[in-house]
Amino acid sequence: MNETDDDKLDMAASRLATDISPERDLWPGIEEAINRPKRSRWTPMLAQAAGVVLIVGVSSLLTYVAVKYDESSVVQVAPANLVFERAAFGAEHTLASVYSRASGDVEARLERELAKLSPEARKDVALSLAVIREAIDDIGQALEQEPNSAFLQKLLVEAYSNELALMNRVGQMTQRVMARKDI
Amino acid sequence: MGVLLAVPASDYSPQMVPLERPELTDEADWIARAQRSDPTAFERLYRMHIDRVYGLCLRMTGNVSEAEDCAQEAFIQAWSKLDRFRGDSAFGTWLHRIAVNTVLGRIRKSKREQDRIQLAAEQAPLPITAADTGDLRDLSEAIDRLPQGARHVFVLQAVYGYSHEETGNMLDIAPGTSKAQLHRARRLLAQQLQEQGFEA
Repeated sequence: MNETDDDKLDMAASRLATDISPERDLWPGIEEAINRPKRSRWTPMLAQAAGVVLIVGVSSLLTYVAVKYDESSVVQVAPANLVFERAAFGAEHTLASVYSRASGDVEARLERELAKLSPEARKDVALSLAVIREAIDDIGQALEQEPNSAFLQKLLVEAYSNELALMNRVGQMTQRVMARKDI
Repeated sequence: MGVLLAVPASDYSPQMVPLERPELTDEADWIARAQRSDPTAFERLYRMHIDRVYGLCLRMTGNVSEAEDCAQEAFIQAWSKLDRFRGDSAFGTWLHRIAVNTVLGRIRKSKREQDRIQLAAEQAPLPITAADTGDLRDLSEAIDRLPQGARHVFVLQAVYGYSHEETGNMLDIAPGTSKAQLHRARRLLAQQLQEQGFEA
């Protein structure tokens, strides 16, 4: 193949059509895509950040509550009139039914155990639970937008664990209080 | 201003739309409006450039359905990157770069995808357009049968008139590689066309 052949080939190639109409109008697909509202990256990110902050805060609060009331000598019985709402779950989350059964049992026990604590201790526990459940709600909302996020799912599981741990801790606290010999 | 790219407009194809080529100032207005998130202006730009973008996608992929997807994706990406268009190159060239990246991105996407494209290309009739007639159809078919790397370089170089530098930039290869691929493409094409008795 010599230069003349190259030239002929290039000449022929330059005569090939450069503008070719597609067989169908591609604009409707493009229009739909560009008019689709952009999903803000900030909402999930903020929810994730809020989730992390809340879980860290709740863990600290848990420790504080446990340490503060572990040696409490108060055995004051009062009707438990606290209302606990069900935690929210992210869409398509299969943890819901299993968790509901487990937390239902623990919550029933919690109400009995809370009655054995002082009003101040009950208030702290309720506050901690509210913070955890707020975190669960936030993470649940974030999961609705990103149902496959492993990070959010992990956060959600941690939040549930914290909630159950707090409920169990309350039970242990009252058992310890009742077992004390010096009161 | 009838042509936005470096290639002289061929008057060969009845499908070409030289009469609808915009004046630069008109196009600049549409671009400015589209940059202010005006979809109507962007549609206008789409109408102005779709044939050239689709043509490139078709020649690069050798598959109608892939070319449609690539062209569509290229315009969607162009919309999202419009604010970055500063007019350093012609708008058509900028779109071509996006289209080339889209084609390459889809090819790189996964081995499975490549197999699918290959299968589709083998099953589908070669996408010869009405624009290519006579001996040019033979050439067009021969280009479709070139190995991917050689085909991409030949299409950008010989069909669309980009330089080795520009081709290298678009395909992310060195200009030397572009030259080598062009040489390879010419050799393979010459072999194929000789067998068919092609006369340019």
